[in-house]
Amino acid sequence: MRKLLFAISVAAVAALTSCSEWEPVVNVNYDNVDVATPVTLDVNCTIAQLKAMYSKIGNPIKIDDDLIIGGQVCSEDRSGNIYKSLYIQDATGGIELKIGKGQLYNDYKPGQWVYVKCEGLTLGNYSGMLQLGYGRNKKASGEESGTNEDGENADDYETTYIDVQYIIDTHIFKGKVDSPVTPKVLTEDDLKANLSARHPSGAVMAQQGPDFGTLVTLKGLKYGKEVFALLYPDPDQAHDKDHSSNRVFLSEATWNITTWALTKQGMIKHLQAGDFDDASTGDNAHKVKEADLKALMIRKANAYAVSQYFKLGGTVVQVRTSGFARFADSEMDPAILDGTATIDVTGILCNYNGAIQFTLIDEDSVVINK
Amino acid sequence: MYKKLIMALASLLCGVSLLAQTPTGGVKGTIVSRTDNAGIENAAITVYQGAVELAAAVSDADGNFQIAGLANGLYEMKIVAADYLETMVNFAVEAGLIKNMFKLRLSRIKDEASDELFEEFDLDDSGYSDNPTVLFGQNDVFNNIAGYNFSSVRFRVRGYASESQDVYLAGVKMNDAITGYSPFSLWSGLNEATRTKSTVNGAEVADFGFGGYNGITNIPANASNVRKGWRGSVLTNSAMYRLRLMMTYASGPQDNGWSYAFNVSARLGGNDWIKGVFYRSFAYYFAAEKQFDDVHKLGFVFMGTPGARGAQNASTQEVYDLLGDNMYNSNWGYQNGKIRNSRVRLTHEPIAILRYDFTPSQDFSLGATLLYRFGKNGYTALDWYDAADPRPDYYRNLPSYYWNDNEDLNRLNKSKAMWATDAWQMDLDNIAHINWDRMYTVNQLNVVDGEKRSKYVLEERRTDQRDLNFVLNGKWRAAKWLTVTGGLDAKVNRTEYYKILNDLLGGDYYVDVDSFAERDFSSSPTMTQNNLDYFLQYGTAPKVYKGDKYGYDYYAQIRKFNGWLATKFAIGNFQATFAGRVGYNAMWREGLVRKGLFPGLNDVGGVITYNGQVITTYDSDGMPVTSYGKSKVEDFVTYAGKVNLEYVIKGGHRFYANAGYFKDAPNFNQIFVSPRTRNTIVPEVSKIKTITGDVNYQYSNAGYNFRITGYYTEISDQTKVMSFYDDAQNTFTNFAMSGIDQRHMGVEMGFKVPTPINSLSLQGVVSWGDFIYTSNPKMYQTYDNDASIVEETWGVTIPYWKSHPDKNGKTQKHYVAGSPQFAASVGLNWNYKYWFVDADVDYFDKAYLDMNPLYRTDMATAGGDKVATLEEVDYMASQEKFDAVYLVNLSVGKSWYIKRKYQLGFSLNVKNLLNKKNVKTGGYEQTRLVDNTVNKDRYYRFDSKYFYNSGINYMLNIYFRF
Repeated sequence: MRKLLFAISVAAVAALTSCSEWEPVVNVNYDNVDVATPVTLDVNCTIAQLKAMYSKIGNPIKIDDDLIIGGQVCSEDRSGNIYKSLYIQDATGGIELKIGKGQLYNDYKPGQWVYVKCEGLTLGNYSGMLQLGYGRNKKASGEESGTNEDGENADDYETTYIDVQYIIDTHIFKGKVDSPVTPKVLTEDDLKANLSARHPSGAVMAQQGPDFGTLVTLKGLKYGKEVFALLYPDPDQAHDKDHSSNRVFLSEATWNITTWALTKQGMIKHLQAGDFDDASTGDNAHKVKEADLKALMIRKANAYAVSQYFKLGGTVVQVRTSGFARFADSEMDPAILDGTATIDVTGILCNYNGAIQFTLIDEDSVVINK
Repeated sequence: MYKKLIMALASLLCGVSLLAQTPTGGVKGTIVSRTDNAGIENAAITVYQGAVELAAAVSDADGNFQIAGLANGLYEMKIVAADYLETMVNFAVEAGLIKNMFKLRLSRIKDEASDELFEEFDLDDSGYSDNPTVLFGQNDVFNNIAGYNFSSVRFRVRGYASESQDVYLAGVKMNDAITGYSPFSLWSGLNEATRTKSTVNGAEVADFGFGGYNGITNIPANASNVRKGWRGSVLTNSAMYRLRLMMTYASGPQDNGWSYAFNVSARLGGNDWIKGVFYRSFAYYFAAEKQFDDVHKLGFVFMGTPGARGAQNASTQEVYDLLGDNMYNSNWGYQNGKIRNSRVRLTHEPIAILRYDFTPSQDFSLGATLLYRFGKNGYTALDWYDAADPRPDYYRNLPSYYWNDNEDLNRLNKSKAMWATDAWQMDLDNIAHINWDRMYTVNQLNVVDGEKRSKYVLEERRTDQRDLNFVLNGKWRAAKWLTVTGGLDAKVNRTEYYKILNDLLGGDYYVDVDSFAERDFSSSPTMTQNNLDYFLQYGTAPKVYKGDKYGYDYYAQIRKFNGWLATKFAIGNFQATFAGRVGYNAMWREGLVRKGLFPGLNDVGGVITYNGQVITTYDSDGMPVTSYGKSKVEDFVTYAGKVNLEYVIKGGHRFYANAGYFKDAPNFNQIFVSPRTRNTIVPEVSKIKTITGDVNYQYSNAGYNFRITGYYTEISDQTKVMSFYDDAQNTFTNFAMSGIDQRHMGVEMGFKVPTPINSLSLQGVVSWGDFIYTSNPKMYQTYDNDASIVEETWGVTIPYWKSHPDKNGKTQKHYVAGSPQFAASVGLNWNYKYWFVDADVDYFDKAYLDMNPLYRTDMATAGGDKVATLEEVDYMASQEKFDAVYLVNLSVGKSWYIKRKYQLGFSLNVKNLLNKKNVKTGGYEQTRLVDNTVNKDRYYRFDSKYFYNSGINYMLNIYFRF
């Protein structure tokens, strides 16, 4: 009787059951998963060719052709100095892929081949650099939006992030992990050449500089004793160009900033020490030394990027570091600051409105020559 | 005056002693089930005259009982048996004879197999409890029907939190020492062993305990209380787990005084409605008991429910709509093509009980219980370091993050929203579910010095209790009109909170650092340490391997001592009970690791330094903030008083009223700001004050059961603690609310009456309540990373907690969430020749979504411009009311006797017969704000998350007894 009952019940249960519901029941320990198989796509366009499609500032290109580029990852966001972006380069040049996700180094390794199906993506300019991203925001009226995802004024941005996972999955493909890219060593002349690069049409367009967006090494940079940083007294309030009272510029001096950037703690320390007392708001109406403004800035302190100015020969190189970089608070060697030592840096070469801007990969990208 | 009183007392006592001259009359009979005429074992029969209890007995295995020593006269007999409605029967003893009542039929209560269907919405992270709210298997007509029919919508009796329901095991209060939650999961799957229960409602006092304001239940769980014989059952259901196998044996009391019992079960499988939810749960119960003589009885019980259960998660309506499935569960994904749930409860908390009963006379009894609970309680979750949030329904993965019609929200990319919509609507494995394969790839490719450093791991949060209890409890019938009950209890609880690494997901090791601290203090080598002492010794954070402790580790230490006394006076038809309780509660935290953010002082009271720098941090009062070692001991003297008055009228009528006043200690989880990180105690910790009263009329006689109750309760000075990411501050914060007051009032009514049609009865319940907040609590917000206070929200009133003005300025009340405040059920019950059929229609209304305090603050309603318009206040502070709903349920069952020796039976319950899939059963508001708006002058809410009731589901139970 009992056996019969048991048999009936087991049969009944089996009939009522799907196999998948038993998977978590029977798998006390799950098997390891093999690393995803690398993808290889046939490349039909070089990065230089892609970049050349961009010919007019303010006129982002939505790519409608079935173009596939391929390159090796030359950046790494592990240190946090690069954020939500990946740079890839091939033999002809480099480009920034605006994948709007953090910690991309977990999925894209330095040297790894990455293939991009460009159809549906948008090539655009940001302050002198070409980026491959997604189309701009549009209001229901069709009017393009003046802000980007971070709520920042987007007049300068011709693309938005490729941050929808399904767009990433259908456009950006991970190839095999190769040895990391060897940085190209550039001279001052190379920098000048890049800044005066021309579009195939003949027009001067620094965006087309072949080394921009690639991994390079600059040797013998000397400290320029000047920084640039833009602070927002109340970052929770509007702080675009039209709200200059909510902007404080630190420029034309060092402002006693001896680190690569300003973390929240670093900013509080400088404010308390009075280092920024003489800085003014963008409308020149207030100085930081005023108690109300200083108290607000301390209370609403945040991390800020700083550009430390260096010189390669006579060319200014702004080493711009994010306040969220892990090495933001690292003190620069006094020998750098007093000019007795030069540095060699390795990182991504960028153009910022006609000036050389340099993005360090991490703190190890800086070698001091004493 | 005094002389008169003494005379009166003396005459009463004389009366009592006269009665004591052993009359020859009595009563006997057989207690049987109305369904199948089978004898009911272990039914408790108590004989009364008016309110005065005269004698008691228990039925034997065949349901027979006999009570002697009754004088001629009219009596009432109360019959209480597990699984049956309590009933009253009148009888008369004449001519000094034993009155034979023959068969006394009891109505079965709702089906026996349903106890567990409550479990496991798992709302641990949402601050929501996952406990049953009305105990099944009660003899009371209201609780029985409400318990069964209303469980699916998480109905709670009188709107009270489940913590307020006292649940005792062998006389020991088992509510969780830390949270107060009722402890049913400790014995779920042991239905047979825990079947016998006794329960009182509201603020009544029970013989076994003083209780609170929401009833008190005791499960004796001793060997002799388990139904005699063998019993096996197979159960399948489609809403929770597919299969339950259970086997029970009880010897019943043997001639040599021993009783033995065991009960084992396995609950296995998934269900039709929620993918990823599964059971791999087992249960065991072994008990032995020795009745040495009439005076001494000693029992031992050992039980536990080892197993694993996959949990469900709530999502936003957007997600449900994209997938066309309100039962979507974001906790699981495919690993190598197989379903894997990331949130699994892994528990094994055995309980050992030693129980001694001392009954020197019929009028005096004493019981002592020593109970120890131990073992492990784990709950897995994904943990990650410097990697993307792997949860599929993270808000940035949803279409709404890219497009919103309201341009102020600045979500303006319809094209991206369409891509995201497509991916969800196609239910892509790697997007709509956890992408295990990617996490394994990430871990295996993250090679550091030749070893794979995991970025994603599965952590197991452990809450391991060591809970030792001693209870002494006595009852003395000093006289027929006076019964004194009382008890002493002591609890020593040490609960260790920590986490272990459950699975490295393909990697070789994980590193124990505080990734939240790293966001703010990335350049500080010490502040990011979860284990500072290790770092100071070895200069590096510890590597963690499978099974290692990491993250946090502390003891919650709790000591509770209580004494209570109740005196019951019964004179004629009137009974009055006066009871009081005093107690002492002490609790403290004891950190077992030193956290880098809050090093505190060293062993000799000095500051802690690193590289010559002092790293000890201080709070705003200048006290060092400490993670390691013992915190201040918070202790409370508690007290409570109760009055129960009762008047009985012959024929089964009972009028009674209860009143109670309580000053209770808060729970451990209400007094520490952030127990995972530090010893800091919430400001303004105070005792919780409760005043309660109820009036009741009950009628119970010969198949008729009726109860109506009106109640009124005020609960004041409660505290709540939570932690959340504050978008306005852009950091993780701790939030304490104190001074939460609420008021519960309402009426509940239950009935079961025969109809003119033979064997058919009508049954129903109505519960109407009004459960509201009556205060605007104060809030205290601190930054999690540095323990400093958030100035704007420190010691400030939450102005829109109890109500808010709507757009027109009209006040809208806010309700206590979690239970429909109006619930009704009506149904028919048919019992005939071993068949039963039960059909009910239920109606629910006035259910509200749980509120978060953030949306009721000035900060959130005012937005960036710090000006709160009526429109903003109404948008931000209003509370969601769920739609009213009705559900239909049907049960059918039959049993057969085979050769008069074996019994075979089945019961089939079909719930939600109309297959309604849009019935919200709960949920919560996300404690997050959209502050990134175009003009930055106002804030918006995040979407709320919901749980839904399953569509049509069945439970089929087949049982066999021999």
